[in-house]
Amino acid sequence: MGITFTVYDGQANVDREWPFDIVPRLILKDEWDEIARGLKQRVKALNAFIDDVYRHRRALRDGVVPEDYVLRSREYRSRCAGVTPPQGIWCHVCGSDLVRDDDGTLYVLEDNLRVPSGVSYMLENRAVMKRVFPELFEHYGIHPVDDYPARLAACLRSLAPSGTRTPRIVVLTPGIHNSAYFEHAYLAQEMAADLVEGSDLTVADDDCVYMKTIEGLVRVDVIYRRIDDLFLDPEVFREDSVLGVPRLMRAWQAGNVALANAPGCGVADDKVIYTYVPDMIRYYLGEEPILRNVPSYRCVEKEARDYVLDNLPDLVVKPANESGGYGMLIGPHSTRKERDAFVRAIRAQPRNYIAQPMLKLSTAPTLTGSSAEPRHLDLRPFVLSGKDIYVTTGGLTRVALRKGSTVVNSSQGGGSKDTWVIEGQ
Amino acid sequence: MSSSVLSRVAEQVYWIGRYLERTDATARLINVNGNLLMDLPVRMPLGWRPLIDITGSGALFDELYGPGADASEHNVCRFLGTDLRNPGSILNSIAGVRENARTVRGTMPRITFEYVNDLALFARSALTPGQSRRNRAQALDGISRRAQQLEGFLSQNMLHDAHWDILRIGNYLERADMTTRIIDVRSADLIAGDHALEPFQDIQWRSVLRSFYAMQAYHASVREPVEPALVLEFLFKDPRLPRSYLRCLNGAARSLQELPRNERAAETCTRAIAALQATDVRALGDPEARTELHAFIDRCQIRLRDLHDTIMATYFD
Repeated sequence: MGITFTVYDGQANVDREWPFDIVPRLILKDEWDEIARGLKQRVKALNAFIDDVYRHRRALRDGVVPEDYVLRSREYRSRCAGVTPPQGIWCHVCGSDLVRDDDGTLYVLEDNLRVPSGVSYMLENRAVMKRVFPELFEHYGIHPVDDYPARLAACLRSLAPSGTRTPRIVVLTPGIHNSAYFEHAYLAQEMAADLVEGSDLTVADDDCVYMKTIEGLVRVDVIYRRIDDLFLDPEVFREDSVLGVPRLMRAWQAGNVALANAPGCGVADDKVIYTYVPDMIRYYLGEEPILRNVPSYRCVEKEARDYVLDNLPDLVVKPANESGGYGMLIGPHSTRKERDAFVRAIRAQPRNYIAQPMLKLSTAPTLTGSSAEPRHLDLRPFVLSGKDIYVTTGGLTRVALRKGSTVVNSSQGGGSKDTWVIEGQ
Repeated sequence: MSSSVLSRVAEQVYWIGRYLERTDATARLINVNGNLLMDLPVRMPLGWRPLIDITGSGALFDELYGPGADASEHNVCRFLGTDLRNPGSILNSIAGVRENARTVRGTMPRITFEYVNDLALFARSALTPGQSRRNRAQALDGISRRAQQLEGFLSQNMLHDAHWDILRIGNYLERADMTTRIIDVRSADLIAGDHALEPFQDIQWRSVLRSFYAMQAYHASVREPVEPALVLEFLFKDPRLPRSYLRCLNGAARSLQELPRNERAAETCTRAIAALQATDVRALGDPEARTELHAFIDRCQIRLRDLHDTIMATYFD
């Protein structure tokens, strides 16, 4: 059961199935409201930080976040310095990953600020559940998730450069071979936006972006881009990129087109920078963080590094800028040889690594064959920032299907569940 | 927000229209030829080579199957049906439909892809090189039927917007192209007055009509015995026959009217229609006029190519 986007094609099997577990994950509404408040707070601070990094660097001067860590982050884009995106918002779509420890404490594991994916699975999982269990939806107060595409469209519209025309929104995809292509097509369709590839767009002499249509060139106001910064504009970033649009950065800098998320956002999901998010919340908002960070050791700092190197078998080591669960060391499950490799890697590039204690992730009942067994899971809610901030009701629950595994990434054998936010009693 | 039609997407939709039509036409072509040969004496000179000529792929066929290759039933059916080295083979045409449909999903009902998959999966499992004639006939019939089902589904369910018009233009141009090719190759044999074939002329012209599913239509529309001149006029000029050359041009012209920036393409189309109207097609049915007929069909094909090029340049570049 579940969503299959697989076409039965031996040669060009570019789609694949994502296993779906039919047992929903439940969260009480009251508890969810508090989490949602925490997420809004967090994303607000993150946006304030990114804006600050590329404009005044106040937090860097005040020593809240070491300047060196920021400016030497792989995801820092010097070309973005001085740009003023609408409302000072850089990250319009954020997907933060939440986990629960065995004592029930909720932690933010990481923030995905670049091109987070998975929301279409949240929507499709719900559609499947409604088909299979219509009665449950009649009798329990399960909060809907279906308004996401409309919210996303509204958020994107609010970014359009001012003018009288109805803003034209496009979803920029790397194309059919991207693993999230289904989602790009899905969202474009649901938002009645055009799904475009780089070659469909052109930047004219007036530094405005146009798409090539049968009517000729049509002006584009907002680009929901689902390609990485480095491929956006071959004139500025990677010259060999065929996915992007030459001169796109120039159009964006001139304020003639909005990019969501803005280039350069990734500086705040560098995992070293992540460790400073609670400080950012205090600094920019003057509030205590509602959601906790997982305690983290920055290998770039000598004392922390020594501790990490001495305690590798008990720790999880993560590279600062990878996503999809790649390049991690899970200490308790690692071999001597793997740990040795990490010792060398950490010594060679300490700035590139953080370490965290191994959390005993919470579990939920999951169907395995004919019985239900506990499996570890996490949760990715999506947060939209435009004129207002919107948080999905619940989010995408990812579940590790292998017994004992804590890796939930779809690229590493994870599956997903529907997430029900329900009224208590 | 009025949705625009991206040039890239328009081009893909156009090729869906063409490949779908090609799939159906090629399947019918092989089947009708198989039936025809059963009715002809074994020593007849016709055989399977004409199908290669109709599809205009003689050079490729010779290259793949050896110079002066044996245009045997086995070779020709394989070449036109399952040979992935032939871009115009049925399996490749279906792959073309599918590849393009995958990337333009937003322009068609979501369920369309199930029809496309059904066609592709059926074709791949049912059509195999060297299968028995009976199985081949069934497979081709099933392919043709599924292709038409898909066209029918689209016409009844997709939004009749510019995507639809472009899909139709692809249909019509491919169809017009195929109609002229079939007439060209078949008439070369038939009008030639080859004495060996004379007693079988009637059977052959009937087979031509059958390649268009047009036997009953001919009787209903022409109300005369099957005669070369009348069949030619019917296939070129009957405005009511869906696969007649005129009907295809009219259809393309109508769809073009719905599109923006259509001046050049519409003019090319109008000129092609005018040229057809000015031609006494019936006279071209005379065995003496064989060269003129061939020259006329050549000009038709050049006009179709012009129209294709104009559409490419206007909308897809």
